[in-house]
Amino acid sequence: MSENRQLLVEMAEGLFADLATASFEDAAPRLAEAGFATLLIPADQGGFGGDWGDVLAVLRLAGLNAVAAPVAEPIIAHALLAQAGIAAPEGLVTFVAANGRAPFGRHADAVVMVRDGTLSLYANGAFAVEEGASLAGEPSDLIKLAGEPTATAPCAANLDGLGAFARLAQASGAMEAAFTLAIDHVNTRVQFGRTLAKFQAVQQALAEFSEEAAAVDAAAAACAAALDAGDAEFEIAAGKYRLGLAVDRAVPIAHRVHGAIGFTIEYALNRYTRRLMHWRSEFGSDAHWARVLGRKAAGLGGHGLWREVAARTDRLIA
Amino acid sequence: MQIFPLHPFRPQGDIPALRQQVRALVAEHEHRWTPLQRANCWFSFDPEFSRAMGAAGLLGMTWPKQYGGHERTMLERYVVLEELLAAGAPAGLHWIADRQTGALLVRYGTEAQREKYLPGMARGEIYACIGLSEPNSGSDLASVRTFAKKTNEGWLVNGQKVWTSGAHKSHAALTLLRTEEGSERQQGLSQLMIDLDTPGITIRPIIDMTGTHHFNEIFFEDVLLPHDALVGVEGQGWRQVTAELALERSGPERYLSSHVLLVALIDAIGPNPADEIAELIGRLTAEMWTLRQMSMSTAAKLDAGEDPIVEAAIVKDLGNAYEQALPRLVQAATDTDLAGSSALSQLLAYYLLAAPSFSLRGGTPEVLRGIIAKGLGLR
Repeated sequence: MSENRQLLVEMAEGLFADLATASFEDAAPRLAEAGFATLLIPADQGGFGGDWGDVLAVLRLAGLNAVAAPVAEPIIAHALLAQAGIAAPEGLVTFVAANGRAPFGRHADAVVMVRDGTLSLYANGAFAVEEGASLAGEPSDLIKLAGEPTATAPCAANLDGLGAFARLAQASGAMEAAFTLAIDHVNTRVQFGRTLAKFQAVQQALAEFSEEAAAVDAAAAACAAALDAGDAEFEIAAGKYRLGLAVDRAVPIAHRVHGAIGFTIEYALNRYTRRLMHWRSEFGSDAHWARVLGRKAAGLGGHGLWREVAARTDRLIA
Repeated sequence: MQIFPLHPFRPQGDIPALRQQVRALVAEHEHRWTPLQRANCWFSFDPEFSRAMGAAGLLGMTWPKQYGGHERTMLERYVVLEELLAAGAPAGLHWIADRQTGALLVRYGTEAQREKYLPGMARGEIYACIGLSEPNSGSDLASVRTFAKKTNEGWLVNGQKVWTSGAHKSHAALTLLRTEEGSERQQGLSQLMIDLDTPGITIRPIIDMTGTHHFNEIFFEDVLLPHDALVGVEGQGWRQVTAELALERSGPERYLSSHVLLVALIDAIGPNPADEIAELIGRLTAEMWTLRQMSMSTAAKLDAGEDPIVEAAIVKDLGNAYEQALPRLVQAATDTDLAGSSALSQLLAYYLLAAPSFSLRGGTPEVLRGIIAKGLGLR
């Protein structure tokens, strides 16, 4: 781990743990003050000068602590604005997915949108918000354009792809948090005269859970490495689909081992599982990414697929 | 606790050139291989290809040069293996010798044993198998009863091994036996390297439900072996075998042994699939890709001197689940004629029947999940 990342992680760990049960109103100013939004902005432009590995480290911690304010969205929006040579506005900048929804849109001072290879920045006032809520109760708002963009520029980025990576990264942390709760629960809850952890059926279920958490971690790390290598379309499609599968397999286990306790609003588990279930749909469903990847694979042909898969990691070997 | 921090896979050397070397070798020999020989390829046999692998310096890659090895890194060897598996190259003859037995002899063997076996193994001419399971000793390996009595003339072996893959093609079997009379469980076990042409040994085939012969029974009746058949330390057999099984659980064969079915599916469907088939190919590709990241990470950890027991079990269990689901998903989503003669038809028919075997080699899901649970502090 680079020295910078070590410092970044220590800072994020402390702050996010502090914000773990904070409301949006309490959390957002603290995040803004910490300056995560400039994580990917080069140092000579006044940013942190980080890479996607740094973004993964921060977003994983945000997911681990179920931070109830946008961490990923400003990082991505600011990075794209900087690449496009557009000065970032003051305040919270989030972005609009292909389906028209913007996480935390109602709180945004500006939104970034990419359509047909053009990035547009809309200031508050140039769009209206139709409020909606995610499964986790967070703002997932429809953005209705009502004015002209402040600025536009050509942009090759796939915004939903970057959003999908962000959710994969956050999910790797949320999976760990849910898993840790499950382990703690079965190690302390006594039924039939012994802890649940002593039952083989429970051990097997948690082993399966750990495998899914492991797959999400591996996929997220591989996507970050690919993004840093410059092109991660293949990896993000695979990783986001794999996340859907992991949510499908692991969330039911997390709840099953907790019994009724895990189904209450008071107990922490739902802060992770509700987010995981929502993230599965956000920025492209399982079906969407599977089709994207499947078409890519079919275009490469049977042996071509393997060659591509191998070449994509060989490029990482310096 | 992060369960699976990804370890970067950074082999030395010119990796694209190494891949190219394996692909060229495959291209030179593949005209001989039927679709079914390419299926489950680390159980299919082609002596000419095994010798060609040896001649190309692609066997015993990590062993010392003085024994015919090439002193290359574990990760370079990993690259060669994944290329062989992805191409479905029949590697069954040399597989065990190259993967396990040779490596174990490098680590624990006597000078005489290394000189006797390793150069031939590295040439792709000496093949080995592993004698572990017995009629009453399957997942519970510590219950083995085959006994080697230490006499003045040597080891006198009596007993039986079963499910021994490739014994009928092998020159020697690295065998786990009880060497201490009255010992129980993990105590009193040792490994002997047994030449299979020794008098008193009978090998009988067990035909599996695909109609293939790779399993065997081996009977030992008053088989007399020299004292120096002992590999490693007398009484330390359990520890040595456990280390060997870790090598067995972490390779790319744990998710790539059915890859030729995915290749055949993609080639049969063509470049413009309908939505549902594109989705199926995408799902399979995503799982394969994720497993590859996990498998490479585990190999890199092993190479870095770590002991990723839990990670290896995770890769094997997930890989096995993926490979068992693969033929079922293809069957469910396509109208493939199981009696047909196309590559896809032949491979799908074969893998539907072969898939049950994936969860018995190297540990059942229950055993693997038990290892994981133990690693998680649950047992």
